[in-house]
This record gives sequence, structure tokens and C-alpha cells, in this order.
Amino acid sequence: MANCDLCVVRNRAICSSLDAQELEVLNAIGRTRTMQPGESLIWEGEDSVLVANVIDGVLKLSTNTEDGREQIVGVVYPSDFIGRPFGGTTGHGATALTEATVCVFSRRDFDAFAREHPALEHKLLERTLAELDRTRRWMLLLGRKSASEKLASFLLEMEERLRPSGCVWNFEDGASRRITLPFSRQQIADVLGLTIETVSRQFTRLKNDGVVDLPSRRDVILLDHAALVAEAG
Amino acid sequence: MTGAITSAILARMWTYHPELLAIPVPRYTSFPTAAEFGDSLGPNAFIDALEQASGDISLYVHIPFCEKICWYCGCNTSVANRTGRVSGYLDALHREIGLVAERLPQGARVTRIAFGGGSPNGISPIDFVRLVDALALQFAADSPVLSIELDPRTMRADWAAVIAAVGITRASLGVQTFAPQLQNAIGRVQPASMIEETTAMLRGAGVDSLNFDLMYGLPGQTMADLEDSLRRTASLGADRIALFGYAHVPHLIARQRKIDAHALPDAAQRFAMAARGHELLVDAGYVPIGFDHFAKPGDALAKAALSGTLRRNFQGFTEDQAPVLIGLGASSISGFPDLLVQNEKNTGRYRMMLSQDRLTASRGIRRRDEDRRRGAAIEALLCQGRARIEPILKEEAWPFLQPYLDAGLCRSEGDDLVIVPQGLPYARSIAACFDSYRNDSLRRFSSAV
Repeated sequence: MANCDLCVVRNRAICSSLDAQELEVLNAIGRTRTMQPGESLIWEGEDSVLVANVIDGVLKLSTNTEDGREQIVGVVYPSDFIGRPFGGTTGHGATALTEATVCVFSRRDFDAFAREHPALEHKLLERTLAELDRTRRWMLLLGRKSASEKLASFLLEMEERLRPSGCVWNFEDGASRRITLPFSRQQIADVLGLTIETVSRQFTRLKNDGVVDLPSRRDVILLDHAALVAEAG
Repeated sequence: MTGAITSAILARMWTYHPELLAIPVPRYTSFPTAAEFGDSLGPNAFIDALEQASGDISLYVHIPFCEKICWYCGCNTSVANRTGRVSGYLDALHREIGLVAERLPQGARVTRIAFGGGSPNGISPIDFVRLVDALALQFAADSPVLSIELDPRTMRADWAAVIAAVGITRASLGVQTFAPQLQNAIGRVQPASMIEETTAMLRGAGVDSLNFDLMYGLPGQTMADLEDSLRRTASLGADRIALFGYAHVPHLIARQRKIDAHALPDAAQRFAMAARGHELLVDAGYVPIGFDHFAKPGDALAKAALSGTLRRNFQGFTEDQAPVLIGLGASSISGFPDLLVQNEKNTGRYRMMLSQDRLTASRGIRRRDEDRRRGAAIEALLCQGRARIEPILKEEAWPFLQPYLDAGLCRSEGDDLVIVPQGLPYARSIAACFDSYRNDSLRRFSSAV
């Protein structure tokens, strides 16, 4: 059973358009599921029997090409919606990169619910548009030639998506911003289509140039936002 | 604007030669035309062509659904009244997108995507955005030029919001006529206010090239009706206008049996309407494009016409220079330099084949060197009004061309054949002189005017 009252993404997620009574109905058809890194939510090619809200953690979205390569098509974060309600094939699978908590619905239940709630259907359209935006940015990122452009774009995306909602960091105050990466160096390399050596070399270079500081393997402190934007091209 | 004025004066000099328009001719949206397509290609021809494609690629995506079916329409479309039918079709389309994209080599770049139909806005906005998302993902198309055909009757605020958010900059509206009695006669009722509101919504959504499709030769249509529709179109600021002659072929398009054929304008009246339409739009400041399109001077289509880079493809006249066009969806045609091939037309069979992960394009024709040479001459005559004619083609075509040369509609300039401005309404007939497939079977086509 999901408990919407305690949900930490409640005011950002797709269900934020619903009133208390509607939430109660949604609560009854959803369930919370915790995932370990590497665990998959939806298998590619199967009917999209599940739709889900991300409550905590980070998941990668990926497809497999015919020759067996994995193509990462996006990364989802807390309050993102995963799945394809209203039919259609999923197109991609979702695999947890970190420990994750998701709120899961069967597609049939969710569809029936959404049809009766135009506000939710509208939110779903907004999410689908956001998904398109995410796809385009991702394609642009992967289409970039150099490793430095890829990594800088990726760090900027991380910074934006992991930032608490509505909070804009003011770099002009000279403040720096710490992000805890949900990825290992190897995972970043996989996602960006680079080797782990290249990723490590680029991190070291950004550190030497004073753009970031790296207090630990997972923590990144963004020191010079403008320089990172310039680097991203 | 001396050129435009000259052309307007010349248009007034269009002369009707019924005997030179007597033989119906193709529209030549491709050469060879779809009438020459056969079943002998086999499924691998398309796959091989995809695997060898390179450079810029344009996509056409066919959405064969409309909220209402108009009686005049020859498009492959049906009523979007059953959710199962639409979602089943879209599933097949998503599969096709995946199968086609994985065949394309790395060097191929999708730079344009056109959504046509039917009416793409006959499906739900969510389904449409998912389609755009799948195309972006599978073809790694992060910023293609997007265009869409729209039915004003189903154009609502949610669609305008989606057009803005998706970044569609080009739209084409099926307007046909503003006259209420003619709209009734062809089964397409859409008050002028609806077209005005749609125009305003699309402008607000960032559409900077807006086309109106209009028709002459409709049952009961008067010259005054036509003039009124053209003036309203110009005053609404359409950037492009396609002015087609209504082709009444009820033996081919069963829907047209609902249209009362008694009131159809005759051939001479049709000619007069085409001439008057041309004159009025040129006077209103539009640049004539080929034989039935018009565009404002700043529009990309007008620029292409003026710079001699205009092309012809399945959607009509275009500024698109891509050597490869891939058609997705039932009945869509793909064009490669050496191959034309059409997807399965029947949506049921299209869905069935894709449910087995099989691509459906197998009907078509290989474009031999000779076809390409003839096709280049035909395209140049229709797009630029002139073409360099190789001696061997010249020898063969001249007997057919003689009546047009004698009537002063075209003339020889060195190695070039030039269609003079008064010859414009005969352009398709003149081009047909280079069509080696042309024979009695061409009675199946509509008249050139």
C-alpha cells in the first residue's frame, strides 16, 4: 500500500493535481516498491503493465538495439513519472542505479483512473512533453563529439535535476554547490558512451582547472558554474 | 516587384487550348509515378536502401485518421472512432520507427519530419507527443524541422499548446473553400470563424509558415466564390497556398459518390478558375510556385523557387533538398535515388506485419538510370519551368511536344526546353511528353487543370 500523506514528492509528482478523495482512490490501487541497484522495473518490449512515480533514487532508462548494445535513453529522478499509460509498448526499460523507491500501478488501473480525471490526464500530457524535452537534450548530449562536452553537460543536468524543487542556487554570491552523484565513474562512462579512463581523466582536468572540487568519489562541488556551461558547449 | 507584375499580366494572357489538355496526365509527385509500382521488388529492396542511405533524410509520418471523412478526399484515412483501432495502429507505427531507425547507418541524419494524413490532430495530443518522442529517440533527431497537416474542425487549445511545446514551425490547414454552401456540398463544414481561430492559435504557437489548401472546380462553385476564398486566405496572412483542381473520380474514390456531379464546372470553367486564381494571388503579392502553389516572398518555398532550388516530392512542391525521404505508416511512400517503395496500404495488414516485426514496404519500382534522367527533366520542367534535354530524349519527345511548341506554350533555347509563362497551365502535359510509361492507362489520372 502506498501512503500518499507521507510521500516526499507529493507536491511535485503527477498526482499533485488530485484532491484528498481522489488520492485515496489512487492510494488503494498503487503500491510502494523498493529497488536495489541493478534491479529492473519494466522489461523492454513487454506490454507496459506497470507505471510508476519515482519517490527516491535514480533510475536509468535504456533500450537494447538489435545487435545487443544497450542504449541509455535517459535518467529519471525523484518525482519523475515512468511508464506509458493509455497503451503502447514501453520502448524502454527502467533499471535502478541507486537504491530507489517507486510508487507502482498496474497500467490498466491507472488508465481507468486517469480517464476519469481530466486534471491527471492533463498532467500526463505535461509529463509526456517533459519526457520529449529530456529525450532531445539527451540526444544532443550523446551527439556531442568531445568527452569534455559530454561530461560537462551531464554534470549540469545532474545539478539541475538533483536540486530541490524551486530552489535556484545563486552562484553569483560566490557560493558553491555540492551534489552527490548517484553514479560510479564506471556508470557515468556507460551512460555517456565513454571509457572509465576518459571519465576519470576529464574529472581530474576539471578539478585542476578549478571548475569543480572532488572531496570524495561520489561528491562533486561545482565551483565555477559559468566555466562548466562554457565547457558544455 | 516588376517580375510579379509581369507575371500577372502574362497570366491574363493564359489561353485555353482544350485539345492540349484533353489527355489526363499524372501530377508527377515522383517519377516513375505510383501507377508504375509493381509487386516484384521483394522486402529486401527497402532494407538494402535504408542500410545504404547517407546524408540528410526527411521523414513522412502518416496518421490515417480523421474525426470526420470529407466526401472529396482521396487520402488513405478512416474515422478515428474506435480507441482500439487508433492505439493498434500507433503500436505498429512505434514498431516501424524502431525497425527503420536501426537499419540506418550512423552518417544518416534526420533533418525534417512531416506529419500528414488523414489529420494528425485526429489522435490525442499525448499519443502525438509520444510519437515525436519515439522519433527523436530512435533517429537521434534532436532538432529537426517539424511540419504538420491539421484539420481546423478538430483544432483545440490543447493541440496548440502541444504544437508550441514540441516546436512545430510549419502547418498546413485543409481549408478548401470558405463558402458555406460549397462546404456542405463536399461534406466539410467549417465556419470561417473556425479557420480564423485556428490561424490565430497556430500563430500564437509559433508556426511561422502556414499553408492553406484550397480548391477550384467544386460542385456549384462560382468565380465569385473562388475569389472570396482566395481574398480571405490572403487577408488571414497564409504564407503558402496550394490551389488544387477538384478531381471528380467516383469510380476510384467511392466517397465522392455523395457529391452531386451535375453542378461541377466544365473544363473551360475550370481553366478560367485556375487562371483567375493565379492572377488574383500574384496581384496579392504571392510568388507562383510550380503550377499550383503560391508563397509569400519571404517564405522558404518562395526563396527556393526564386533561387532555382525548388523540388517536387510526394507532398507537392518543396524546398526540401534531402536525397532520401522515408515514409512511415500505412500507404506511405519512401523515395531513394534508385528506388521508390510503398508501405502496405491496408492498415489491418500493416498492423499484422509489424506485430511480427516485419517492415511492410515491398510494392514499388527501381529507378533505372533512364528513369532518373527522365525524372530530372520532368522535375525541372515543373519546378523551374525549364530543363536541359539530352539529344536522345529530345528526339523521342519532340513529336509529342510539337503541338505545345506550335501553340507558343514552350520553346527551345539551345539545349533547354523552356515553358513560357503562358504555358504554366500546360506544364504537366508538357512534362508528360518525357514520360516513357505514358499510354492509354493515363486516363486514370485527373486533368492537368
